[in-house]
Amino acid sequence: MSLDVQQTISDEAYRDLEEAVGPENVSREPAVIDCYSWQPFANDNPERWVIRPVAVAMPGSTEEVQALVKAIGRHGLKFKAFSTGWGAYSSPTSEGVVQVDLRRMDRIIDIDEKNMYAVLEPYVCGAQLQAEAMKVGLNTHIIGAGPSCSPLASATSAWGVGWDCCYMSYSGRNLLGAEWVLPDGEILKIGSLGSGKGWFSGDGPGPSLRGIVRGSTGALSGLGIFTKAAIKLFNWPGPPQIKTTGMLLDADSEVPENLRFCMTFWPDRKSQDEAIYKISESELPYIFSRTGLGATISIATPHLMKILVKTKAIRKAVTADMKWGCTLIMVADSEGEMAYKEGVLSEIAEQYGGAVINLTEAKPVIRMFLMNFLRGTAVPVVFRMGGQMFTALDRNDTWDAQMDWAGMGETVKQKWIDRGGILDDMADNPYMVTYEQNTWGHCEEIFQYDPRNPEHLAALEPIFVEFSVEAAERCMEPLSSTDARLRKIISPMMGHYTSWQQKISGFLDRDRAADTGMYCDEVDFDVNKLEPEMRSRIEKLVEKYSWTDEGPPE
Amino acid sequence: MSATDVTGLREKLSSIVGESGVSDDSSTLETYRSAGLATGGEPLLLVRPGDSGQVRDLVKLAGEDGLNLVLSSSGTPRFRGDTVPSGEAVIVDMSGMDRVLRVDRRNKVALIEPGVTFAQLKAEAKKQGMRPSMPLLPRATKSVIASFLEREPITVPRYHWDMTDPLLCTELVFGTGDLFRTGSAAGPGSLQEQWDKGLAQKNPMGPAQTDFLRIVQGSQGTMAAVTWATMKLELEPSLHRLYFVPTDRLERLVEFSYRALRPKLGEEFFILDAFALATIIAEDPGQIAELASRQAPFTLVYGVAGFEYLPEKRVAYQENDLEEIAQATGLRVAREVPGASWRRLDEIISNPSPEPYYKTRARGAFLEVLFLTTLDRLPSLVEVAEEAAARHGYPAGELGVYVQPIQHGRTCHVEFNIYFDPEDEKDSRRAGDLHEDASRALDEAGAFFSRPYGAWAGMAYAHCPDTVVALKKIKEMLDPAGVLNRGKLCFNGAPGDKPGKKKKEVG
Repeated sequence: MSLDVQQTISDEAYRDLEEAVGPENVSREPAVIDCYSWQPFANDNPERWVIRPVAVAMPGSTEEVQALVKAIGRHGLKFKAFSTGWGAYSSPTSEGVVQVDLRRMDRIIDIDEKNMYAVLEPYVCGAQLQAEAMKVGLNTHIIGAGPSCSPLASATSAWGVGWDCCYMSYSGRNLLGAEWVLPDGEILKIGSLGSGKGWFSGDGPGPSLRGIVRGSTGALSGLGIFTKAAIKLFNWPGPPQIKTTGMLLDADSEVPENLRFCMTFWPDRKSQDEAIYKISESELPYIFSRTGLGATISIATPHLMKILVKTKAIRKAVTADMKWGCTLIMVADSEGEMAYKEGVLSEIAEQYGGAVINLTEAKPVIRMFLMNFLRGTAVPVVFRMGGQMFTALDRNDTWDAQMDWAGMGETVKQKWIDRGGILDDMADNPYMVTYEQNTWGHCEEIFQYDPRNPEHLAALEPIFVEFSVEAAERCMEPLSSTDARLRKIISPMMGHYTSWQQKISGFLDRDRAADTGMYCDEVDFDVNKLEPEMRSRIEKLVEKYSWTDEGPPE
Repeated sequence: MSATDVTGLREKLSSIVGESGVSDDSSTLETYRSAGLATGGEPLLLVRPGDSGQVRDLVKLAGEDGLNLVLSSSGTPRFRGDTVPSGEAVIVDMSGMDRVLRVDRRNKVALIEPGVTFAQLKAEAKKQGMRPSMPLLPRATKSVIASFLEREPITVPRYHWDMTDPLLCTELVFGTGDLFRTGSAAGPGSLQEQWDKGLAQKNPMGPAQTDFLRIVQGSQGTMAAVTWATMKLELEPSLHRLYFVPTDRLERLVEFSYRALRPKLGEEFFILDAFALATIIAEDPGQIAELASRQAPFTLVYGVAGFEYLPEKRVAYQENDLEEIAQATGLRVAREVPGASWRRLDEIISNPSPEPYYKTRARGAFLEVLFLTTLDRLPSLVEVAEEAAARHGYPAGELGVYVQPIQHGRTCHVEFNIYFDPEDEKDSRRAGDLHEDASRALDEAGAFFSRPYGAWAGMAYAHCPDTVVALKKIKEMLDPAGVLNRGKLCFNGAPGDKPGKKKKEVG
């Protein structure tokens, strides 16, 4: 859609929206609508940013969400929910969509201190919840997109990776009871909540409805709107408040005494990987991160980075000599626990020839970085180098496979850096974490670009295709299942899962009131626009991996 | 079904699994006629598929011929009735699919078939310095996969992050006959191709925006057959000790649990009342009552362990931290209880139950009331159960209580075990009456019957009509012909029906 196309909503429909949520909470003013037509992440083309909604409505309660959804359905429109936003995923995928902005639903309804969960509305953000949770010795999982994002949206409807996943799991795994307004406006309460027994369990009686709420990715509003949810909280042995002044990279935080911030470096990949397996088995980290040093420089000092990439010695030091490492934060509830953890880390370092740099005493450094790791506060600076960034996700599984993905990502990125398709961040820029102490691992290869540069914009689609093909060739689901074209290609290689998503959508949303562009409604991928080599690779994948009526090719 | 029809059915089933794979042995079929309170099953034949292809063919045949298939993968005895058919059925016995297909030390994962038992998996895992997470004293014949599909709790809350744990990825045959794979096993590629790429089927979510394992778990075989699964394994400790915290104040154990579980202290961690503990540790069933009389009313059992690095240091800090919590909550920690040292209990709970199954040792039979709640509600729910026991003249102090914190202590599984003599009609009737009364009273007091076996289904689903509507739609999607374990849970009416008052179910 180009910028000058205007969608409209009938006066009658608009009046019904006003009736549902109050006239002061609905708008179809172009200036207001355009504010929703841009989200900071995944706007890969200013010409088509995202599709404008026909109106924006802001319900203030579950009842208003119900009334709104019913009104939208009556008029043949669609809804797309928006909690705190961040990516273009929060915006409409088709015409005739009402953006349901949930910002008036912003209450932390309860923090159950003993049973370690919080009941939230959609517009509660991670930082807000973390601040309240820490007051009672608890903490919340903060996703990689940062503390401004909605924990409810992550747990019910989107993704959920973050640096604390080693200790606090993945957002989708942290969902307990939930209140869900279905596309027909009816309420479905899942788990113990549905039985009037409280919020503490998301599963049962019998089969768990969490199985249709989401998988590794959520339905992104394609199955309705979640209005309240209970999510798990986790132990926080630090102070009730971390006193901080400043923000982003200019922050200055008081460091808890029972916290250690350690950077580790290893002589080669093998040593690093062995050490990470052992560190995880020993359950040392509270926060765990592996990224390239070049990535840190590009984020912290983007102008310096533009100089450093032209050097030889520094570039080699960053991309080779100091390539293998990870960062961890350890916390402890007792001196004995910390002594044990420090001792184990030291033994592992000795065993695998690593160096542990304990930055806890390097006050200027840790005071600046602490909240970035505990709260993800520095996420916005990732946009500084070029104005935009994107990421290539594979299917999370073993740490070893994630490291392979990181290596491949570096190779692919270097090719596109050399072609001038993306910015030079020294190529090695993976965002890697472990889940549940390395039960499985995560890697996404981040790349940065300038949306004002036509060559960069032209490169985005082929880079996306290349990473998707690489993932499938590695027997991994490309985790861009929100792309309707990609779903159509990959689904037959994975048990035709989209056919089941279509059926779920079919029985929950008979009137097609939800915007399902990121859940079902697959569209063809025009492979003729691809380079012959890439087209050939896709054809081979389809031939090799597509399931038949008998099941997967064995 | 007439004898002629059964003969015809046998031929069709034989064409799938071979003649030797079909049985009409009456003693075998008899074991599916009743279990616990469930009666009235009419198993026609039993089939033993050897692989997922045969399971799939059986499901397709059932769809074509309108059969009711009851999936079973554990051996006898069975107690909860989920494998007792509602009327006529063909039993699909998957216990012969019992291979441990892969054990991966580096990634701490095993891939197993449904017939694998805990003893089998434990032995295979041990070869590589690992152990499976186990429920408390599972039956020797209990299928590992079936156990966790039933959401049987594991004894180490620290390893229980989410309700699907320790299951990871699965292969499913839906009631439609469609094959599906969940989690990262979904592919692309075969298992071997995935292994060749360094993958190990470790991510439990998905594929994409689905999570059918969660639908199949807790479904009592009504949604799909599981033909293999991967599951987490944990490290075998190099140093391991158990401790007892006996008390007459359950509230103090609740406080102790909250403080200990929040920082993920401890390994095994559960609470038993005197009778349940005695049932486990008594060397001779005749000693149970006497041994119970010497126990504190409630005992919390916790383990501490060291692993590859600095095991003594890990054990020492955990011992110290837990001891401090005990002191702060007015409790004392012991290394033994009357009749058992920590070593003896450790030996017992590290293995499946010896035969006969431990819950039958006291009186020969038992009935369970099991549900989920939070620890802070536990004392009041114990009172409710004890009051029910008193109403029925059930001996004070002989209600076996087992409390298992799960999900890091956010929730707990609670079991009340009612022991009785099955040969004594009066005792049996009293147990049945108490079971029904206690279940209803606990439900009214807030217990969440998340695993609604038998008659609990009507009670549990009466609370959540909207959940029932959604579940029926899912059932219609995955098993439109209703071939899988017909009549169980809330699937006894047309899709979309709201639950009404139900007569007492079998099964």
